[in-house]
Amino acid sequence: MNADLEKLQESNKTELERRGSIFNIGAPATEAVTIRDQIAVGFGDGSVRFFQSGSDPKTVKAHKGVVLSMTNYEDHVLTGGDDGRFLKISSDGNIDEIFNFGSKWVDCVASHKDTKVCSSGKNVYIWTKNKDKPQTLEHQSTVAGLAFDNKGKRLAVSRYGGVTVWKLNNNKWTSSNFTWKGSHGTVTFSPDTKYIVTAMQENQIHGWRLNDKADLAMRGYPSKIKSFTWVGDTPYLVTSGSSDAVCWPFDGKEGPMGRKPIVVANGGKELATFVKALNGEKAVFTGFTDGSVLLAEIDESKKPIMIRSSTGSEVSTIAISSDNSQILIGDMKGSILLSSLWADN
Amino acid sequence: MENTSQVPVTVLTGFLGAGKTTLLNRILTEQHGRKYAVIVNEFGEQGIDNDLVVDADEEVFEMNNGCICCTVRGDLIRILSGLMKRADKLDAIIVETTGLADPAPVAQTFFVDQDVADRTKLDAIVTVADAVHLSSQLTEHHEAEEQIAFADVILLNKVDLVDESRLDRVKDRIKKINPFAKIINTTRCSAPLDEVVGLNAFSLDRILEVEPDFLESDHDHEHDDDVTSLSFVSDIPLDMDKFQDWFGNLLRTKGQDILRSKGILNFKGEEERYVFQGVHMLMDASPMGPWPKGKDRSSRVVFIGRDLDNMNLKEGFDNCKSA
Repeated sequence: MNADLEKLQESNKTELERRGSIFNIGAPATEAVTIRDQIAVGFGDGSVRFFQSGSDPKTVKAHKGVVLSMTNYEDHVLTGGDDGRFLKISSDGNIDEIFNFGSKWVDCVASHKDTKVCSSGKNVYIWTKNKDKPQTLEHQSTVAGLAFDNKGKRLAVSRYGGVTVWKLNNNKWTSSNFTWKGSHGTVTFSPDTKYIVTAMQENQIHGWRLNDKADLAMRGYPSKIKSFTWVGDTPYLVTSGSSDAVCWPFDGKEGPMGRKPIVVANGGKELATFVKALNGEKAVFTGFTDGSVLLAEIDESKKPIMIRSSTGSEVSTIAISSDNSQILIGDMKGSILLSSLWADN
Repeated sequence: MENTSQVPVTVLTGFLGAGKTTLLNRILTEQHGRKYAVIVNEFGEQGIDNDLVVDADEEVFEMNNGCICCTVRGDLIRILSGLMKRADKLDAIIVETTGLADPAPVAQTFFVDQDVADRTKLDAIVTVADAVHLSSQLTEHHEAEEQIAFADVILLNKVDLVDESRLDRVKDRIKKINPFAKIINTTRCSAPLDEVVGLNAFSLDRILEVEPDFLESDHDHEHDDDVTSLSFVSDIPLDMDKFQDWFGNLLRTKGQDILRSKGILNFKGEEERYVFQGVHMLMDASPMGPWPKGKDRSSRVVFIGRDLDNMNLKEGFDNCKSA
């Protein structure tokens, strides 16, 4: 490469790329979660790697195939794999097999305090503290998403035809069904727990108000919504699936009903594939099909900042360290950018 | 558009006992130097154990898109998306369906789901049929008829257990339902794997290979709900607007009874050939380059389905001819 070209490429780098580290793992990054000052990333080769600023990642060979799902649990991560194993992993590489489902995949995992949850096929399995045997919750079709509310009292389970919300009363789980035609994937509770929202098989998201089961249909996307995140105090539900980050306001009595979303972080021809809130700020990171990432305030008059330039591979995960100092961006080719968010770090 | 990074998917249908598991075991154990993932169903025959075998429940979901016969395999969407996250590249994926399954939702999944269509492509529907029992199965079960109707390749298995005249009768019966499928005689599913996997039968290019010899098939069937096929040829160029009106309306109103449709079209004023391929109400169409020099520019359409005689297909097609 001649010197001029090298210089040009260097100048095309973003500020975060210049001061950060880039790792090429060679397998798609599937999930990322934060544990203290580390960010754990699951990959399509079955490994979980723990990234920390200033050192090389620690690699744990966890699953045989793909790390399908991951969440944090105390100082550990919980992972589900296509080898049928549900694992608890510590950053020093200790693997504890919670359960082995054999040839059935462990599609979803969730946790709240000392409760560990996973789904395999149509069932959800719940392990509570000091109990070896899980409780089993059955559903009519394969579970596609799991989410606890912020108190851990309710567990939303998405599936074909809607969501089952399980409520814990005196150690017994009782269910309530929220119905909407179609297949429902990833699910989330609003931070005030007044709403649940799912990403559907169709190019739309669907929500319900919990107290009266009123439906909210949010349509008009050109592709499937693979990711959403709650941003700010309003709060906004920011979603991928369009050429912008689409931000639905969930304040007031009616939430987004009858209102237009705010759109920020325009990616031009590229579609947003992953969104992640910047904790404590009214701002969101948006990753696109070409690997680029923009940081934007939820304000249509403000210009977004380019965080990562195009890599040619879609952004599949973004995580921010718990002290808001580090960002990790991963894509489907397995390229990882780890960088400090602030210049003086 | 042909995308080389799409992983080909072979759908394997056939009644219980026809020999699907024998074929799957061959695919998994033979030294072919390729990496195949196999998606099997819970109610299938037993005896397959391999890292690349995925257990699935067949889950047929209706899409919430206003298309009444638009059903997809929800489990397949989930599993294919998971397999596409693997670090190692798969050469092909084979999907086994249960004996009584309707092949339409599997095929439709590849038309409807964008993620599936981006990363994988439907390669072929391969039906394993039992030469001894197929005739009675066709009489007793709609599903057997559908599996034959949808097939690109039919492995007529256990041919060693029937005599020649009986074999001919079974083949005649198959051809009456689906004259376009390639029939391979086998014992213990011993067909070469390269005649089963990696065929590109669903590629629009392959429509050009549909031969028009067996046109105007006779209709001596006993029941109105029998699956039959019809095909038409025209040397007169078609009017594109008229064809789109007729064909669009036909799929909308009769798509439930039309199991498969395909064709190559010569439109008036167009230099390129147009090809299409449909499953029930869904179809895929595109221009496919100029006509070969020195060859007839004739349009051909093919339908496989039920009650085709009552759809005025010939009249509809003839009306599309440019005056």
